[in-house]
Amino acid sequence: MAVESINSQRCNGCGICVQSCPADVLRMDGERKKVVIRYPDECVVCCWCIAECPTDAIVLTPTRYNRIFTSWG
Amino acid sequence: MDAIRDLKKYTCDVLVVGGGMAGCFAAIKARQKGADVILIDKGYVGKSGQSPYAGSFMVFNPQWGHDLGAWMEQINRISEYVNNREWTQLTLIQSYERYLDLVSWGVRFHANDKGEPVRFPAPSGVTEQLRFEENKHGDYVQILRRQAIKVGVRIMDRIMLTELLKSKGRIVGGMAISVDEPILYVFQAAATILCVGACGIKPAAYPPIVQLTGDGEAMAYRSGAEILGKEFVDVHISRRDIPAGIPNMLGRKQTIPPGLEGLQGPRRGGHLFNAEGNPLPPRPEGASRYMFTYLETEFEVHAGRGPITTDAPDGLKEMTGGACLGMSLRKADGLWPADLEGRSTLPGLFAAGDALGTMQNGSAYALTGSAIASSAVTGTLAGEAAAWEATQMVERDIPLAEIERAQLYVLEPIKRKGGFSPQWVTQLLQNTLMPYFVSYIKRADRLEAILSLVMYFQEQLVPKIFARDLHELRLAHETKNMVLSAEMRLRSALYRTESRGNHFREDYPHRNDPEWLAWVKIRLTDGRMELCKVGIPAAWYPDLNKPYSERYPYRFPGE
Repeated sequence: MAVESINSQRCNGCGICVQSCPADVLRMDGERKKVVIRYPDECVVCCWCIAECPTDAIVLTPTRYNRIFTSWG
Repeated sequence: MDAIRDLKKYTCDVLVVGGGMAGCFAAIKARQKGADVILIDKGYVGKSGQSPYAGSFMVFNPQWGHDLGAWMEQINRISEYVNNREWTQLTLIQSYERYLDLVSWGVRFHANDKGEPVRFPAPSGVTEQLRFEENKHGDYVQILRRQAIKVGVRIMDRIMLTELLKSKGRIVGGMAISVDEPILYVFQAAATILCVGACGIKPAAYPPIVQLTGDGEAMAYRSGAEILGKEFVDVHISRRDIPAGIPNMLGRKQTIPPGLEGLQGPRRGGHLFNAEGNPLPPRPEGASRYMFTYLETEFEVHAGRGPITTDAPDGLKEMTGGACLGMSLRKADGLWPADLEGRSTLPGLFAAGDALGTMQNGSAYALTGSAIASSAVTGTLAGEAAAWEATQMVERDIPLAEIERAQLYVLEPIKRKGGFSPQWVTQLLQNTLMPYFVSYIKRADRLEAILSLVMYFQEQLVPKIFARDLHELRLAHETKNMVLSAEMRLRSALYRTESRGNHFREDYPHRNDPEWLAWVKIRLTDGRMELCKVGIPAAWYPDLNKPYSERYPYRFPGE
């Protein structure tokens, strides 16, 4: 499912990945000063986040998440 | 749900919307002419849109032996004569100055031992391009961001312009939302430049266009601006096994994380094969050599000879289409240019880059590297003209009633308690438009059927889209804009009853020069989408005494 997890031990809260994400998938948790995956459905596997992360804290899989198509939603 | 209570007002001479190549150039050039400039982006200036992915920059320079006549002749022919020659020529002539700008700001290009730029021949043969030196995708756009800050441009990231504001028939700024804070922004500007890029519908295969949802075009259309070029489709294809793998930003990393090696793989090899194992027929002499021109893969699939494979370095791999679904051929669609300085037909509103329909490549992509060069050229022209216009504008007040009107429109999805999610409506739109026989191989009956569905989305679903938070408020507006763009695309495709370049009509497989040396213009009239045909100047016609086969070397199926 694209962006899968963020290693909170490694994340230094710099927020570069939040800036880089074109789809607004990642957000900063202000209290913990760590990045969280807020909207995983929108990830398009562009790889900006993992390319920019200075601590290699982000785990990404190559498969894009695909929403199940429902009658309404 | 975030309740939006605060309204922040900013005043400037020039508001630039979108922070890619065009937006950065527009902002820098307007600032250098003395204007007070605000540059906003719904993502991050220097990292959003397609600009960070650009590899080559077309430069025309007579001192390098380039012949304007030869370049123009080739572009006119490949673009099948509906390129706007004034814009094509302007892009060529001004590209060298924009290259010098980039160099002076610190952008580096591939150079030889003597420090001279290495000129790479374009696949077309005649034209040439330079390549950005950075082996890390996107570095050059961040250099532009730094340059904008250096000259005094005020940059605001993660702010999405959602509605234009009008006073006495003139655009006087716009209203924007933030994805982070429950604040509504009002920008009061003497001139507004839309540099928001192209319009896709978030296809899986091409990450750079996930943000490009036709916001500028939709806003401008609602305000009364004219649009063109929606019938000419972008024809990128991608590998089925790694549809999201191209292009990506992994090139920025020294080492590829385990498990992601496949994403780095080249998208395709040298050849495409049909299911019978035969290579796709070579293109005739004189036709475009650029690989993403013409709908050859779709034609094979339609004839029952799919799937299509490519001899990639890691084996024979299957290809699939629709990589850039929703997007037009680069620089074809966008705001109708009222002049050669980036003005739209709406006073106070400018556009540059992919948001401006320069039609410099006509109906088929002729000039590799010209998309990004054109963004630099049009950004400069629009930025300088907007700065000049700001000096002429004294009255800039936005009537309170106009702010209230826009506020109702912008906040409507987040005020609604229920309805349909923007993600679901987007998915419906994607599923409706994705089949190759809808968006690529077109025919009147299918276009009409799909248009009736899209109109149902427009009339019954879009008004009921609701947003649970600010992120979804952005998605809600993006979805509305994509549905509107789909309507424009389908209506233009129906209207153009011929085939030409990247527009193929199964029921009209020939170019029809007597009728269609013309562009299709769209505008909002009495609440309805109105289309009309605007002929190109007769001086730009091909030699109609030449046989059809000489005018058009490339044959469509059914011709």
